[in-house]
Amino acid sequence: MEKLLWIIPAIPFAGFLFLVVFGRRLGDPGAGWIATTAVGGSFLAVVAVFVELMGNDAESRMLHQSVFDWIAAGRFSVGFGLLADPLSVTMCLFVTGVGALIHLYAIGYMKGDPRFSKFFVYLNLFITAMLMLVLGDNLLLTFLGWEGVGACSYFLISFWHEDPANASAGKKAFVTNRIGDWGFMIGTFLVWTTIGSINYLDISEAAHSGRIVGGTAVAIALLFMVGAAGKSAQLPLFVWLPDAMAGPTPVSALIHAATMVTSGVYLLVRLNPVLHEASWANDVIAWVGVITALVAATIAVSQNDIKKVLAYSTVSQLGYLFLAVGTRNYVAAIFHMVTHAFFKALMFLGSGSVIVGMAHEQDMRKFGNLRKYMPITAGTFIIGWLAIAGVPPFSGFWSKDEILAGAWAENKVMWALGLLTALLTAFYMSRQVFLTFFGTEKWREPVTAVHHEASGEGVEESTAAENAHSNDHDHGSHLTPDHTPRESPWVMTLPLVVLSLLALVAGVLNLPFSSGTKHLEHWLEPVVGSHELGVEGSQLVVLAVVAVLCGLIGIGFAAMVYLRGKGSPAAIERAEFAHGWYIDEAYSWFMGGPGRKFFEAVSWFDRTVIDGVVNGVAAGVSATGSGLRLAQTGRVRNSAIGIAAGTVAVLVYVVVRMSV
Amino acid sequence: MGQYLPILALGILATLFALISLIASRLLNPGRPNDAKNAPYECGIVDQVAPPERFPVRFYLVAMIFIVFDIEIIFLYPFTAVYRELGSFGLVSVIEFAVAVFASFLYVVANGALDWGPLKQVRRSGMMVTPSRTSTSTIRRVGQEGREVHVGDEGVAA
Amino acid sequence: MILQVLAQIPTDGVTAPLVEESTSRLVTPRIPWSYLTPQLILFLGAVIGVALVALLPKRLPKYLSALATVVLAAGTLVSIVPLWGRVGNAREGAISAWSGAIGVDRFGLFVTALICLAVLVTALFADSYLRREGLDGPEFYLLLMTAAFGASIMAISNDLIVLFVGVEILSISSYVLTAMHARRVTSQEAGLKYLVLGGFASAVLLYGLALIYGATGSTNLLQIQVFLSERVLTSDGLLLGGLGLMMAGFGFKVGAAPFHMWTPDVYQGAPTPVSGFMASAVKTAAFAGMIRVFVVGFGSAAELWRPIVFVMAVLSLLVGSIVSVVQSNVKRMLAYSSIAHAGFILLGVHSATERGTSAALFYLASYTAMALGSFGIVALAARRGEHLQKLSDLRGFATAHPGLALAFALLLFAQSGVPLTGGFIAKLGVIGAAVDQGDWALAVVAMITAVISTFMYLRIIVSMFFVGGGDHGEEPAGFEGPPVNVSWTSMVGLGIVVVATLFLGILPGTVKHWSNQAVVEMVRDSGR
Repeated sequence: MEKLLWIIPAIPFAGFLFLVVFGRRLGDPGAGWIATTAVGGSFLAVVAVFVELMGNDAESRMLHQSVFDWIAAGRFSVGFGLLADPLSVTMCLFVTGVGALIHLYAIGYMKGDPRFSKFFVYLNLFITAMLMLVLGDNLLLTFLGWEGVGACSYFLISFWHEDPANASAGKKAFVTNRIGDWGFMIGTFLVWTTIGSINYLDISEAAHSGRIVGGTAVAIALLFMVGAAGKSAQLPLFVWLPDAMAGPTPVSALIHAATMVTSGVYLLVRLNPVLHEASWANDVIAWVGVITALVAATIAVSQNDIKKVLAYSTVSQLGYLFLAVGTRNYVAAIFHMVTHAFFKALMFLGSGSVIVGMAHEQDMRKFGNLRKYMPITAGTFIIGWLAIAGVPPFSGFWSKDEILAGAWAENKVMWALGLLTALLTAFYMSRQVFLTFFGTEKWREPVTAVHHEASGEGVEESTAAENAHSNDHDHGSHLTPDHTPRESPWVMTLPLVVLSLLALVAGVLNLPFSSGTKHLEHWLEPVVGSHELGVEGSQLVVLAVVAVLCGLIGIGFAAMVYLRGKGSPAAIERAEFAHGWYIDEAYSWFMGGPGRKFFEAVSWFDRTVIDGVVNGVAAGVSATGSGLRLAQTGRVRNSAIGIAAGTVAVLVYVVVRMSV
Repeated sequence: MGQYLPILALGILATLFALISLIASRLLNPGRPNDAKNAPYECGIVDQVAPPERFPVRFYLVAMIFIVFDIEIIFLYPFTAVYRELGSFGLVSVIEFAVAVFASFLYVVANGALDWGPLKQVRRSGMMVTPSRTSTSTIRRVGQEGREVHVGDEGVAA
Repeated sequence: MILQVLAQIPTDGVTAPLVEESTSRLVTPRIPWSYLTPQLILFLGAVIGVALVALLPKRLPKYLSALATVVLAAGTLVSIVPLWGRVGNAREGAISAWSGAIGVDRFGLFVTALICLAVLVTALFADSYLRREGLDGPEFYLLLMTAAFGASIMAISNDLIVLFVGVEILSISSYVLTAMHARRVTSQEAGLKYLVLGGFASAVLLYGLALIYGATGSTNLLQIQVFLSERVLTSDGLLLGGLGLMMAGFGFKVGAAPFHMWTPDVYQGAPTPVSGFMASAVKTAAFAGMIRVFVVGFGSAAELWRPIVFVMAVLSLLVGSIVSVVQSNVKRMLAYSSIAHAGFILLGVHSATERGTSAALFYLASYTAMALGSFGIVALAARRGEHLQKLSDLRGFATAHPGLALAFALLLFAQSGVPLTGGFIAKLGVIGAAVDQGDWALAVVAMITAVISTFMYLRIIVSMFFVGGGDHGEEPAGFEGPPVNVSWTSMVGLGIVVVATLFLGILPGTVKHWSNQAVVEMVRDSGR
C-alpha cells in the first residue's frame, strides 16, 4: 500500500493529461464523465488507504512513500514524498469525495458551454494540485500544490474571460494570493535555516525536541499565518473571495468553498507542533479568525446576490476555523472544515441549480416561492441552511458548538463574538432561504419595484468586480415575468441529495457525549495530539443551549422581517455592510494614491539607477565585443597569425618557466 | 649550448645579408617610376587577358591516385623484407591497409577518375533559372554563387 | 630502435602479454580484437561502404546511406554496452593493448558512445538537409563514418603517434565535410580555411610530439608517466616546449582562444549539420585526446601546463561570450558560443582532478546534445538556399513554427545553463571542480561570462518569439520565405537531443555516474 500512494494524485493527473489531448474530441458530455470518473477513482484509492490506516494501531497510522529525489543541491535536498496520515487522509477523503460529486454536478451545469472540455481539464488539474498540497510530505511539495491550486483558481475564476470583469476578478485573486505566498515562502526559508529540513516529520520532531522555540516559532507561525490568511481569505486579505464568485458555480462550490480555501487551515493544523511553541501567535490567529468571522457575517447580511451571500458566509466560516486553530482546538477545526465542506458545497450547488432554473439571474430580490417549482433543490438547500444555522441535530451544530466551547475555555470575549457571528449567520442564511424559496414570486412583479429597494445601489455598480457576479454566465440574465422555473436534471440534483444527507449526519463523526463517540478526535490524535477542552460536561450543555438559542433567534428574527414583513429590511441591510465595510474601496484608494506614488518612486529608482548600471555593463560588453570583432577579419593569413601568436605566447611562457 | 653557437652566428649573418641587400637596393636605385615601367607586359605587348592558370582537374586526380599507390609501395616494400618475422600480425596489418586503399581506389575509379573521354555535361543546378529573367540574371557570374555580400560579419570576406 | 622499445613494454592484459613465435626473432603485439569492436564497426563500415558505393548501381534509394549510417552508429553503441561491463569488472579491467598504444577503458568507451550518438543524430538531420540542398550522395555519410573512426581512435589512444593518426583521420574527414556543399562558395572557402589552418595546427602538434619524444624517450603515455614519476629533470626546456606546442595544437582542435580564429568562419560556412557535428563530436574527441595526454600522461607535471590551460580557459570564456553578443549571424553566434563552451570544459581540464575530468565529460555529453539540436534546428529553419543568415531572419519563427521554436528556445536556455536542463548540471560540475581546487578567479570569470552569453541566447529567443519593429522598423515583420519542411527523421533527431537535454537536467544521476566511472577506471598505469 505504501508504495501505491502515488496513485491517488496520479489518477486525476492522468485524467487531466487525457483531457488535454482528447478532451475537445470527446466534448460534451464525454469529457465531463471522464473527469468525474478520474476523481471518483482517486476517491476509491483514498478510501482504500483509509481502510488500511484504520486497520493499524493508532500509533502506526501513517504511510510514507518517497517517490523520488526531487531536488538535491549541496546540503539542501527535497524528496518527492507522499505522506498519508489521519489528517491528510481526512482531507483527501472530502476533497476527492466532494470533488467527484461536484464534477458530476458540473456535467449538468456546464452543458452547452463552448469550452466544456477545457473546464474539466482545469478541474482535474485542480484536484491533482490539491492532492499534492495535502499529501506532500514537505513544505516545498505543499507549496507546489499551493501554487497549482492558485493557478487553477485563477483560470477558473476568469473562465468566462470574455467579460473583462471576470478576468479582473481572476487577477485580483491571483495578486492577493501572492501576498500570502510571500509569507509561505519566507516561512519555508526560516524553517530551513532553523532546522535544516522542510520535511513535516522533521519539523514535528524538531518542534517536539525543542529546536524551534520562542521568537523563531512565533515568526514561523505568523509567516505561515499570512500564507494561510491569503489562501483562506482572512482579514485583511479576504477581498478576493467574494469576487471569485465570477467563476462558474461548480468552481465556487469546489474551490472557493469546500477545498482550496481550507488549505490554509490545513497548513496551520499540519504545523501544529510549531504552533504549540508559538505562544502569542496563536492569539493573533484566533483574533484574526473571530474578527473575520464577525465582519464577514455582517457583510453577508446586506448582500443581494445569492452567491455573494454564500461567499461572505464562507469567509465567515473560515474565520471560525482560524478561531479553532488559534485556540489549539485542531480537532474542531478539521471537524468544522469537513461539515462546512458538505453544507457549503451543498448550498453553492443549490444556488447554482436556482441560477440555472431562474435563467441565470442571481439577485435574490427577484426570486421567491421557488420551493414550489424546484422541490429537490429547495429541500436540500433547507438542510444546508439548518446545518449552517446550527440547529441540532444537523452537522453544523456539532462542529460549530465545539469551536465555540473551545473559545469559551480560552477567552470569553472571543466566545461572545463567535456567538454573535452565529446569530448573524442564522439570520442572513434564513434571509436567503426566505427570499429565495418562500414568499411571493417577485420576478413576476414589475421591475421598478425591485430596483430601488436597497440603499447605496448606485455605488454598488462602481467597482468592476461587483459587476462580475451579476452575470455568472456569458449570456447573463434573461429573466422575464412569465418565466417558469424548472427543476434541474438528475446529474445536478443527485449531488445535492448526497451532500444533503452528509450535511445531515456528518455530526456523528465527533459527538461530544462520551469518549467513545468522539471518532474524529481519536482518529486525528496521532497528528494533533490530545486536547482537553477545559469545559465541563454541564457547562458544555449550557453553552450548547445558548448557541442553539442564538441560532433560533436569528432564524426567528429573519422570519419576522422577511416572511411576515414586519420591520424594514433597509434598516438592517446597511450600506457599510453592503460595501463590505469599504475595505475594498480603501485598498483601491491606497493603491491609486499614496501607494502608487511610492511604487512610482521605486520604479524610477529601478529605471535610472539599477538599469543604468546594468545598461552600462551591457554597453561595455558590446563595445568590447565590437572591438574584438575587428580582429576577426576572416582572412586565412590573419587567422594563421593569430594561431602563431598564441603559440608564440605559449612558448614565451615556456621560456620563462624553463629551468635550464 | 656552445655547440649551437655556429648556427646562431649563421642565422645572424643570413638576416644581416638580407637586410643589407634590401637597404642597399633602396639606397642605390634612382627611384623614378612611371606608368610604363609599372605595367605588366609580355614580349613588349601589354596583355589583354589574365594568363590561364587552370589545368583540367583530372591531372590532379591521377596524380593523387599515384601518390596513394606510392605510399602503399613504401609500406609494402619493407614488409616483404621481414614478413616472415612479423608473422600473422604483419600480414593482418598490411591486409587491412591494402583493403582500405583498394576500396578507396575502387571508389575513385567508379566515379570516373580515370575516364579520359569527352567531358560529361555537368549537372546544372535548378536554382539558377528563375521565371523573372533579366539581363543581369541570365549572365552567370562565376564564383559569386552562394556568396552573401552583406552577411553579418566580415567572415567570408577573403 | 623502435622495435626494442616495443619489446620492453609489458602490456596486453588479456592473455600473456607477449607471445614469442617459434619462427620469428621479432616480437609482435597480440591484438585483443573484441575490445576494439566499436572502432572496427566504424572502420569496416566506412571501408565496405566505399566499396559498395563503387560497385553498386548509382540509382539506389536515397535514404539508404543515412539508414546504413544510423544502423552502424546504433550498432556501435550497442557493442559498447558489453564492453563497458567487461572493462569495468575486476577480473579483466581496463587494459592497455596493442603494445600499450591503445587504452581500452571506460573513458574511451564513454567518449566513443558520445561520438556515435553525434553521428546518429547528425545522420538523422543530414538526410533531409542533403536532399534539400541537392547534395544527396553516400559520400557525406562515408566521411561521417571515417571522422567518427578517427575520433574514436583519439578517444582510446594511449600513444602520441596513434593519437596523431586519429587526429588526422578526423581532421581530413572534417575538412572535406566542411567543403561538402560544393556549389556554395562559403562552404568551399570554409573548407579551405579549415584545411590550411588545421594543417598548421597539426604541424604544431606534431612538433610538440617530437619534442616530447626527445625529452622522455617515448611516445607512449604510460611510459612517459613512469619516466616523469621516476626522474627529476635537470633541464625541462624540451619537455615544456613539447607540452606548450601540443597544448597549442589541442587548443586549435577544441576551438579555444587564442587558437579559435577558424571556428566562426568554418562553422558559418560549413553545411549546418556538419557544423553541429564539429561542435559535438570533433570537440569531444579533441577534448578526450587532451585529457588523455595532459591529465593522464602528464598528470604529474600538471603544474607545468595548468597555467596555459588557465589562460586558454579565461580567454575562451571572455572571447566566446563577449564577441557572440555583437554578432548578427545566427551560426556565428552559435560558433562563438561553442568557444565559450570550450572555455567551460577547459575549467574541468584545468582542475586536473578526477572530479574535474568527470565534470568535463558530463559537460561534453550535454553539450553534444545541445549543439547538435541547435545546429539541427538552424539547418531546418534555413530551408533551401540558406535563408537563415541574420538574426532578423528568425523574426516570427515562433508564430510560424511554434514547436521548433520551443525546442530551439529550450536548447538555447540549456546552453545558457538554466536549471532543469543538462547545461545547468554541466556548468555546475565544472565550476564546482574549479572551486574545489581553489580557483575562485576562474569560477568567477565563468559565472560572469555565463551571464553575458545568456544575453546572446536571449537575443535569439527574443527574435524568434517577438514579431514587430525591433531595431529596424522597416524590416519585414513575419517569417519570410518558403515553408519549413520537417521530415520525420529530423523530428526523431530533435526528439533525441531534446529528451537528452531534459533528462540530463532533471535526472543527471545516471550519466554522472557513468562519467565518474569513466574517469576512475582509466588506464593510468602500465601494470595491468
